[in-house]
Amino acid sequence: MNRKYLALALAGACVSVSAVSAQAQERSAVRPDFAVVDREAVRVIVYRPRVTVGEQSTGGLFEPRADWNDQARQFLDAALVNSQQALGHSVIAPPEISGEQGRLLNQYQALFNSVADSVINYQFFVGNRLETKKRDNRNSQFDWSLGPGVRNLPGAEGADYALFLTTTDHYGSTGRKVLQVFAALGGVGVQSGVHAGYAGLVDLKTGDILWINADKQMGGDVRTPDGAARRMSQLLEDFPLASPAAAAN
Amino acid sequence: MRPLRHLVAAGLCLAAPSVASAAEDFTIPSWTGAYQPQGEDERGLWRESDEIERAMVDSELVIRDPALNAFVRGVLCRIIGDVRCNSVRLYVTRSPSFNASMYANGMMLVNSGLLLRMRNEAELASVLGHEFAHFEQRHTLQGFKNRRAGSDLAAWAAVVGALAISLGSTNATYQYTDLRLNIYGGIARFERKQETDANVLGFAYMAHAGYRPSAASDVWRAVMNEADQSAEGRKRRSGRYDNVAFFASHPTNLQRADYLSQLANRVPGGDFDGAANYRAALAPWRQTFLEDQLKLNDFGGTDYIITRLAGGEQLTPDLLYARAELYRGRGHPRDLQNAIPLYREAIEKDPALVAAWRGLGLSLLRTGQMPEGKAALSTFLEHQPDTGDAPMLRSLIGA
Repeated sequence: MNRKYLALALAGACVSVSAVSAQAQERSAVRPDFAVVDREAVRVIVYRPRVTVGEQSTGGLFEPRADWNDQARQFLDAALVNSQQALGHSVIAPPEISGEQGRLLNQYQALFNSVADSVINYQFFVGNRLETKKRDNRNSQFDWSLGPGVRNLPGAEGADYALFLTTTDHYGSTGRKVLQVFAALGGVGVQSGVHAGYAGLVDLKTGDILWINADKQMGGDVRTPDGAARRMSQLLEDFPLASPAAAAN
Repeated sequence: MRPLRHLVAAGLCLAAPSVASAAEDFTIPSWTGAYQPQGEDERGLWRESDEIERAMVDSELVIRDPALNAFVRGVLCRIIGDVRCNSVRLYVTRSPSFNASMYANGMMLVNSGLLLRMRNEAELASVLGHEFAHFEQRHTLQGFKNRRAGSDLAAWAAVVGALAISLGSTNATYQYTDLRLNIYGGIARFERKQETDANVLGFAYMAHAGYRPSAASDVWRAVMNEADQSAEGRKRRSGRYDNVAFFASHPTNLQRADYLSQLANRVPGGDFDGAANYRAALAPWRQTFLEDQLKLNDFGGTDYIITRLAGGEQLTPDLLYARAELYRGRGHPRDLQNAIPLYREAIEKDPALVAAWRGLGLSLLRTGQMPEGKAALSTFLEHQPDTGDAPMLRSLIGA
């Protein structure tokens, strides 16, 4: 990781001399043929979310923080259960997983992350879109799948959908914020903090990705219960299993 | 993570001070027992490593063969002792490059490519000892703090430079560039110093356990030779080993080899190599690791590895087969011509090496020796009728 940190350091220095552009940073999509028959009876299994919380040093380096990670995990889990219960869904915790099953889940989590990254990079946001995905956007197409092998995931037999969550937070340190103010005086933009996340819903019968919501500038301080609740509501914005009434709220 | 090697040539005269004080270098510091991370930085780094390890536990990359794991761990425990060894979780990963790495929380990764290249326990011990020394000396934390301090300063320099320019200073850009290069050069130098320290302590463990000390420098000479051969095979200039890249985080391999062999002359050390043990432990895996190496499409490097593993003796059947596959893989007409006798010799020495019939058959067909080629492929299919490409092979022989 030596080189990674060095590269980060260099990138940090670059950020401090390049202006930060403000673009649309949020996007979600639902598979067009997605339809739920009975919203109340839905069972959603939630595999261990990827949560990364730390501080951003003056130079832009990520400083991992153990306590913040623990708090964020605890608060986000609670917020998720609350929000799903409000929708009338049952949230299923995955069974105790080890051995072969753990390796299978590990592979599918990695697959979901790769596919979600592709959706975000090549279909959602301006800059690196593929021509074919631009066409999909025009035709309101959203067609991505992990394949029917998801049926074999541990706990899949007792659930209808799997929900995957990822959040990354780098809180700007005091030094970073002071730097930002001084940089603004000099006419350069310095970004303080990184707050990104995405959520995805996978059909456990077909493996199709039914919905993805990605946000590169999320709100809500995940280190506090209220902030975590706000973050969760942003992650689950446009959640397709929400009843029309709940969505209107 | 502490990567062991970059083939990027690196270095500076940093070997000299540690060699000069070699007398003290060989005392192994006292061990404080089960260590828990202190302070928010270290606790954060450990937590980050814990997350990576969680994924590693369930990773398909990990080789879980109990015998191989017990052997590698046994070598590590022999040099650092059971108490220190207890703080390490060791994972052998299926990855053909020459590397091993140590994480802040005591997770050690050992690539299969490293195991393939080592010839004896002593060589393996020198690398494992080096990696553990990074952990004992808490290099991940110190390196992180050093990088952070450097990048903080660089960020301020950038902003102050920009302010100065906006206020009309003309030469601020140059001054800023100079300062920034100084800072990043300093970070790289600090990391090279850590590499040197880890090498010295790792070497002390090894000598302490009675392994032949000069094995440590053998490893780095082999790395250089392989890089040279690899570059030659690819028609490229090889890296230089006597000079320093400004941003290199590791000393040059030549420097490592040199000061390690200087140190080897100073300690009494042992003369235990453990070559026979090593060969026996790797035997069930060497064929697989050789196949992984072949897929790297590195003709020169792979050929060097095969020669080095043979150690001046006649090639063993698995090495004969690997070299035959290497030639057939490059596939010039002369390569196919060279591969054929190698396959034949491999089969002669080890009739159980069925895969050699396949390579022999394909090489014969492609050099126009149709009847012999078809016969060889038939023999292969008799032994492995259900192999993945059996239908294609049958179509080749018209069966």
